[in-house]
Amino acid sequence: MVNLKINGREVSVDADPDTPLLWAIRDEVGLTGTKFGCGIGMCGACTVHVGGRATRSCITALGDIEGAEITTIEGLDANDSHPVQEAWRSLRVPQCGYCQSGQIMQAAALLTDIPDPSDDDIDAVMTGNLCRCMTYPRIRQAVRKAASANRGQTQNG
Amino acid sequence: MIKKICLGILAIAAIGAVGFGVYAYKPAMQPVTAADHANFPPEQVEKGRVLAGAGYCATCHTAKGGEPYAGNYAMETGFGTIYATNLTPDMETGIGSYSQAAFRRAMHEGVGRDGRHLFPAFPYDHFTKMSDEDIDAIYAYIMTEVEPVRTVQKENELPFPLNLRILQAGWKMLFVDFGEYEADPEKSDEWNRGAYLAEGITHCGACHTPRNILGAEKSSEEYAGAEIDRWQAPALTAANASAVPWNAAEFREYLVKGSSTYHGIAAGPMGPVVHAGVRELPDSDLTAISVYLADKVGGDDLDPADSDVVRASLERNAPDRRYRQVEGERLYTTACAACHYNAKQILEGRPDLGINSSVNQDDPSNLIQVILYGVNSHQGTEGVVMPGFAQALTDDQIASVAAYLRADRAEKAPWENLREDVTQLRARGPGSH
Amino acid sequence: MAKNKILSRLGAGSPATALSRRGFLISMTAAGVAFGFPRTSHAAMDPEAADGVPIEAVGKTFEPTMWYWIDTEGRVNVNIIRAEMGQHVGTAIARILADELEVSWDDVRITHVDTAEKWGTMVTGGSWSVWQSWPVYRQAGAAGRTALIEAAAEQWGVDPATCTARDGMVTDGTNSITYAELVKSGITRSFTEDELAALPLKAHSDLRLVGKDVTALDITNKTNGKTIYGLDAKIDGMVYGIPMLPPTRLGSSVASVDDSGAKDIKGYLQTLTLDDPSGTVPGWVVVLGETLFAAKQAADQITVEWNAGETAGVSEADIQARSRELIADASSGAILPTETPDTTRAFQDAVDTIEAEYTTSTVLHFQMEPLNATVFRNADGIWETHAGNQWQSLILPTLSAALEVEPDKIVMRSYMLGGGFGRRLNGDYIVPAALASKQLDGKPVKLVFMREHDVQFDSVRSPSVQKLRMAFDADKQVIGMDHDAAAGWPTGVMAPSFMPKGVNDQPYDVFAIDGADHWYSVGAHKVRAIENELANQTFRPGWLRSVGPGWTNFAVESFMDEAAAKIGVDPLEFRLQHLIAEGYNAGTAPDSVGGASRQAKVLERVAKMSGYGTADLPADTAIGIATTFGQSRQMPTWTAGAVQVHVDRETGTVEVQKMWLAFDCGTVVDPDSARAQCEGAALWGLSMALYEGTEFENGNVRDLNLGGYTPLRMIDTPEMEIEFIDSTEVPVGLGEPGTTVVAPAIANAIQAAVGVRLRHLPMRPDDVLAALKV
Repeated sequence: MVNLKINGREVSVDADPDTPLLWAIRDEVGLTGTKFGCGIGMCGACTVHVGGRATRSCITALGDIEGAEITTIEGLDANDSHPVQEAWRSLRVPQCGYCQSGQIMQAAALLTDIPDPSDDDIDAVMTGNLCRCMTYPRIRQAVRKAASANRGQTQNG
Repeated sequence: MIKKICLGILAIAAIGAVGFGVYAYKPAMQPVTAADHANFPPEQVEKGRVLAGAGYCATCHTAKGGEPYAGNYAMETGFGTIYATNLTPDMETGIGSYSQAAFRRAMHEGVGRDGRHLFPAFPYDHFTKMSDEDIDAIYAYIMTEVEPVRTVQKENELPFPLNLRILQAGWKMLFVDFGEYEADPEKSDEWNRGAYLAEGITHCGACHTPRNILGAEKSSEEYAGAEIDRWQAPALTAANASAVPWNAAEFREYLVKGSSTYHGIAAGPMGPVVHAGVRELPDSDLTAISVYLADKVGGDDLDPADSDVVRASLERNAPDRRYRQVEGERLYTTACAACHYNAKQILEGRPDLGINSSVNQDDPSNLIQVILYGVNSHQGTEGVVMPGFAQALTDDQIASVAAYLRADRAEKAPWENLREDVTQLRARGPGSH
Repeated sequence: MAKNKILSRLGAGSPATALSRRGFLISMTAAGVAFGFPRTSHAAMDPEAADGVPIEAVGKTFEPTMWYWIDTEGRVNVNIIRAEMGQHVGTAIARILADELEVSWDDVRITHVDTAEKWGTMVTGGSWSVWQSWPVYRQAGAAGRTALIEAAAEQWGVDPATCTARDGMVTDGTNSITYAELVKSGITRSFTEDELAALPLKAHSDLRLVGKDVTALDITNKTNGKTIYGLDAKIDGMVYGIPMLPPTRLGSSVASVDDSGAKDIKGYLQTLTLDDPSGTVPGWVVVLGETLFAAKQAADQITVEWNAGETAGVSEADIQARSRELIADASSGAILPTETPDTTRAFQDAVDTIEAEYTTSTVLHFQMEPLNATVFRNADGIWETHAGNQWQSLILPTLSAALEVEPDKIVMRSYMLGGGFGRRLNGDYIVPAALASKQLDGKPVKLVFMREHDVQFDSVRSPSVQKLRMAFDADKQVIGMDHDAAAGWPTGVMAPSFMPKGVNDQPYDVFAIDGADHWYSVGAHKVRAIENELANQTFRPGWLRSVGPGWTNFAVESFMDEAAAKIGVDPLEFRLQHLIAEGYNAGTAPDSVGGASRQAKVLERVAKMSGYGTADLPADTAIGIATTFGQSRQMPTWTAGAVQVHVDRETGTVEVQKMWLAFDCGTVVDPDSARAQCEGAALWGLSMALYEGTEFENGNVRDLNLGGYTPLRMIDTPEMEIEFIDSTEVPVGLGEPGTTVVAPAIANAIQAAVGVRLRHLPMRPDDVLAALKV
């Protein structure tokens, strides 16, 4: 039994401690917004936040995250209107959409750490997230947009 | 070689048998009953809890998946496996029958209540420096707070003659400088407090000081760095290989949070040192240890954020569109850079690998260990993890990432035999830290 | 072949058991409660709904055609038979209908339907969706509008000609009534095919939704994790399966299975050796577990011995060598019906000729969602498949053969696709899930491919070899051209009945040769399509985004530059000289009106956008151009691209600095999605030009995951400029055409920058270095 906190809720998962967090989230907890892509931490589709850090859940063993706080795409914002999600919608980033939960989680973490990223910063961080529809130009643009939305909020409030 | 020396010791033992016999003999001390453990003042118990944490007693006295302090934790010593004893107040199988005096003797002299010599896997060579008051507090804590657990002690797996307890007395005579810590009048009170803690309860030297062939710390090479469980305990001297010199502020951050922004994180055997207790020490004590260690390393007090080393390393972390040229860089860019990023400054908990200790050390073990097995939520920064890539990357790929980091990011001389090191560390498995 | 027999049976039209979606769900629920049968809790019919369940009509409905209904609240539910895999296809199609029907976009919802015979052929590929839907859904919309206007006119006793419809309301200037009210009053008008065809359509200038910007209906749920993909399918009582793949795609058989090492793994259930009457997955083993991880852990401990098939030793070099052999044999292949397919004379008369060989490596789909399928037999005895799929009509007969039931006992439920790119045109991955469930008497099995399985089982883009020749007369005029292209043929192995015959009566896979039959006037023009049977035996060649045009145009458009250089003409000028809208290249209504002149126009546009030939560029930097007609002569999407590269002579790195693309796709139905498709397609083109490609080794592809397979990522993404030609012509496809121009434009740019010609894809830095050293 591994105890986790997912999206603010305490969850006990009765699974082998070697089980990847991804499968625990999807199949045990039932949150399917987090996706399986490559299984080796190199596509980013499975990205969630662990302790606020974007983390590849497909290679993170359940037993290694005892007590950690996990946020999935479903818990990023209570109203699904995190600035990154808003930017994604306004620029119509998703095509097939499969990688986008991971892209959004990665971008949200990036903006927490680097609120005003340069294009180089965006490229460096987001290059770990593969998108086969190749929505990269829009992802880049949307990260910039979310960053400026954040700045606007800070200035206004 | 070991055999030869052991035989030599046996010979010495034979020659000085009589005198040595007198030295070696320790009487059993009277057992006490549970009633004798009652009524310690709560302040003393609390102090003991903190000190027991600072000495991470539970780490070595708790088997994987076992009850706290109930022993049978397997310690690979290089001479054989020693199973830690049951430290719970259980009367039969624990230390319930130890009087306070017997406990003091165990800590100060490495002698059990029954008079047998304890193996130095138990670092009494450090605890001997502790004050009676501190030892009594730990005693009070164990007897009051730790649940008694009845266990079956596992037999140590030591070859003859190393399993002879009498020989331990000889080891002590040769290598242990018994006696409580003596303050250095040349140094500040804070430094001395730090030294008292570091040399005593936190027994830093147990891992950071190299040992001689008989497993004793080489006093001439204090804190020179050593291998433990296929991890490298870095030097805590001027020989420390960090790109940014350690200073008191960095040590303090490391001991409080389990990670230092400009060096790295407490992982492997160092994970529990921080997380199982050192950081429980009062603020002033952590500062004191940091002051003491900074003095040993000889670092300055400059803010690393402003250093050229850090700026240059950050520049080397900027993305390069030619990243596909070098396999290690390609893998780093696609598998590592999504977490190991920083913009104009290095953020806490976002290790910049160009200056990271694991990349700058002469031995690649720590880096390989972390790439293979990751960092769990109780290592490094609490609640943050790095996934292990053991199932994701091949030995060649891990070696290529390590080689890239070493050459292009730390700009240091290449590590030899990287691929073999990866294979060996993979074969060894993740360990129990 | 059994498959063909079933196909024809399907075509003959045995009436399928009508399964209304709602009635079906109700019966399932009842059965689920009463008997513990599995109950469906997920599907993705409405991409806007969090649970995927389509809206239910309120009150009566008016259903002028099977493509939609309107309910008493005026809501319009449009049935979509195309798979949603990122093109926002439902939005584009529904918009065509809504425009003609004259309803507000806010009242429109869509339903991605389950398979049923009434829908006809269900396929999403070839960039056909909008092109094929355009006339059908316009007619359908017009039918509804006409009926509603007639009903209103009848109520008011006026001439329908005096009435107009707009925003879900009919008015005659005096009276007005909403569609909702009209539906409430009851309309039952329906239309015959002939009536539909005769309906007046709106003038292009009156289109209100087509060409206007709206946010696609599927987007919101793709930003909050609610979109339901095949991998998210959840059926009560399901078990998880992990495949163990045989050493060859075909011809292997299982010799022994030893699962003793897995017995102690918690949650391990059993191991099945599949028995496949359809022959789709010979030699397959499926490991079952209570959880996916249990199945995976067990699979790691299970030993299977196989008798390997004949292709166990086949390498990429073997396949390419076979292609070269076939090309050298003049009797092989099918000769396409070009205008003058006999080039013998031209080459005899030639004063000068040029010849070049172009090759491309194997390419993986690597769609983000690994293959998966969930299959079970429901309480009504119907087999349900739950998976994303692009060509239901193709795989249904195979599933029927595998399950040994009539096709009407199978229903394929709709899910969103985590990437298609052609991989899910071949539904072979559903078969092992079906077989596993069949062996468990219909128990739900969710089969999930780990990425390495997905790649090994990919229907890859076949490696190809092409030989091109051109003949010139004494005046350096082009008088003939030969184009021989050999590769594995996707349609040849999976849908041979779709192949037309060439002038030599040999069948050919249009998807493996389209593009070679270009719109340049080159005198005699012989195009020979050759099927590489070794490729077909070694793997299942796949349709991969742009398919043949992805490699044929690399050859044609590289060769055009080479030919221009040969006779000392500027490559742009050379192309324009030969894009003449005459005769065979004049174009025909409605799909290729204007012919080659439209291709010339996009090429001129992209030259202007990029500053080709005029830009002052630094050393080792140049712009290359290319132009294609997208996917096929039948549905040309006039496409042109220019790419600026800088070549690093030290490392051989090709830095792509900027890409420009111009398209003439006729009417742009959904501008933002159109742009998105072109961005994605162009970047796929770039990825296949420089970064991705693998090779066969010992009968399988070498790179099974991202450790070795290295597609384009964000850092590799250059700046792009995309423009569309204003047009009111028939809308044609945009999913693939952007892919086709990038590789040749880059090859041409590299040649212009540093003077070396690369004729193999991908063009890796080592290839550049090697060429520079020569």
